[in-house]
Amino acid sequence: MSDKDVRDAFFDEVYTIGGQDKDFVFLTDDMDAFSLRRFKQDFPSQFVNIGVAEQNMINLAAGLSLCGKKVFVYGIASYVTLRCFEQIKVNLCSMNIPVTIIGVGAGFSFSFDGPTHHGTQDIAVMRTLPEITLYNPSDSSAASRCAWLAYEGKGPVYVRLEKGVYPSLGYGEDELADGFKIVRPLQGLNIVSSGFMTHEALRLAEGLKKRDVRAGVVDLFRLKPVRETFLAKVVEKSKVLVTVEDNSLVGGIGTIVGEILADAGVSIRLKRIGVRDKQFLHYGSRAWLHQLNGLDAESLLASVSGT
Amino acid sequence: MEIRDLEEKARRVRLSVLESIVASGKGHIGGTYSCTDLLVALYYAGILRFNFRDPRWPDRDRFLIGKGHACLALYSIFTDLGLLPDARFDTYGQDGGLGGQLDTSIPGVEYNTGSYGHVLGIAAGIALAAKMDQKSLRAYALMGDAEMYEGSVWEAIVFAGHHKLDRLVGIIDRNRLSTTDMLDDDSFFKDFKEKMRSFDWDCHEFNGHSFPEILDVFDRIRNALRPVMLIAHTVKGKGISFMENGIKWHHGVPTATEAERARRELVGKDQVAHVR
Repeated sequence: MSDKDVRDAFFDEVYTIGGQDKDFVFLTDDMDAFSLRRFKQDFPSQFVNIGVAEQNMINLAAGLSLCGKKVFVYGIASYVTLRCFEQIKVNLCSMNIPVTIIGVGAGFSFSFDGPTHHGTQDIAVMRTLPEITLYNPSDSSAASRCAWLAYEGKGPVYVRLEKGVYPSLGYGEDELADGFKIVRPLQGLNIVSSGFMTHEALRLAEGLKKRDVRAGVVDLFRLKPVRETFLAKVVEKSKVLVTVEDNSLVGGIGTIVGEILADAGVSIRLKRIGVRDKQFLHYGSRAWLHQLNGLDAESLLASVSGT
Repeated sequence: MEIRDLEEKARRVRLSVLESIVASGKGHIGGTYSCTDLLVALYYAGILRFNFRDPRWPDRDRFLIGKGHACLALYSIFTDLGLLPDARFDTYGQDGGLGGQLDTSIPGVEYNTGSYGHVLGIAAGIALAAKMDQKSLRAYALMGDAEMYEGSVWEAIVFAGHHKLDRLVGIIDRNRLSTTDMLDDDSFFKDFKEKMRSFDWDCHEFNGHSFPEILDVFDRIRNALRPVMLIAHTVKGKGISFMENGIKWHHGVPTATEAERARRELVGKDQVAHVR
């Protein structure tokens, strides 16, 4: 296990990038991260705190990028996507401007701060943008690589970051290029997930094993585009797929996998587990919010056992 | 270029806009005419520093227009400058031809227009990059007065004032009409100059149809130390008597009779019709 928080893993690379490339500019909407402090301290002319003005942050990023700057913008996932969606659509995506948006707080990361802070709809919304790339690293080493992939990218990128330290999933370069990794050997029943929930899916597979149900687990590192290889390497080797996520069931990973099955004409069972299509005004721990959505270990075990 | 040459350019742009709208049945004549003189001044009077043989020249001034529905005036200017072939200009309104908004596939266009409230922030980003790189290029953002209602414009105003983005120039086409309403000097527009100055901007007002006034104001702001907001007092539909200040001419298309009247006003009795 790496002892690095995924945010620190990502921002440590951002520090290296900033040191190497004087045209690299980092913008934030007043959002902090421990590992960002030295960037701010050492490269003050490349760091701008815009204040809580996400629309303006995206517009500034577009303008800077049009003048040859390489720009990363950073804030809470729900705000840097939904609050400024049209700015992203028109001012970044429609001109294919290579700006990277970093949203921290995937799923229920900011559990106690309530639904305004929950990153449960960002995937659904952002994936409608043509040609954008979406990353959701699930461990610190993938987060480190992700910083470089975004930096080297030729178009707009959205990176959603978890908070916290997670066991390493051991991504290799080929798997990063594929955008997914089989993190537990495939069986007839396989679970597809990403980020925090991939680690929950691994626990779920362990629990299922105790009930004599074998399950593989696949981590989706890149949510868009999902490569063709996912079809051959995962879908065609599965009899049942289960998606597990703390994102809205409308438009989340379950939808992504469902679309792949439909487009390929593959008739296998797909079970989608995620945040229900219901107003959700609750504050508490991530574990408790998961319980309310049937995403806790026990509920997951019960719902997948019967699949 | 002399004042009378600028006036002649503006007349030709208006005529070309009229003919295109009449031919295609599409366009926003009122708001195009309110900013025609401003656009002509920017491109022909040496205000914008650019090289029309190399529209991507990195040190060029950037001009972004928020009210992209005034695109026909720019198509006409770009064609005249040789950025657009005549044949392409003639595709306006056709499937796959020049559209009702500007996009960056057209040489000379810096930004995909269509949605309000974005250009000042993008221009602020350009001005910020210029400041970081110690370049003297300027970023100009032309906005309709109705566009000032967008909150993102004010986010940019706050930011640019605070960061003293002296390479940023906002221009408001103050034609006092939105799509469906009058924009009077109400609580929003009254004391606008004072509002801007309180945000640490310079602000000047002038007649947006007077070339001497336009040239004078751009001359005065040449060495500004803060961002500048220019309020150009204009008239929607300027140049055609029956269109001036008429709300129906936001996107009204002239009938054959109206077009002929308009043409006569623009061409004048002693000049040949169908000039572009």
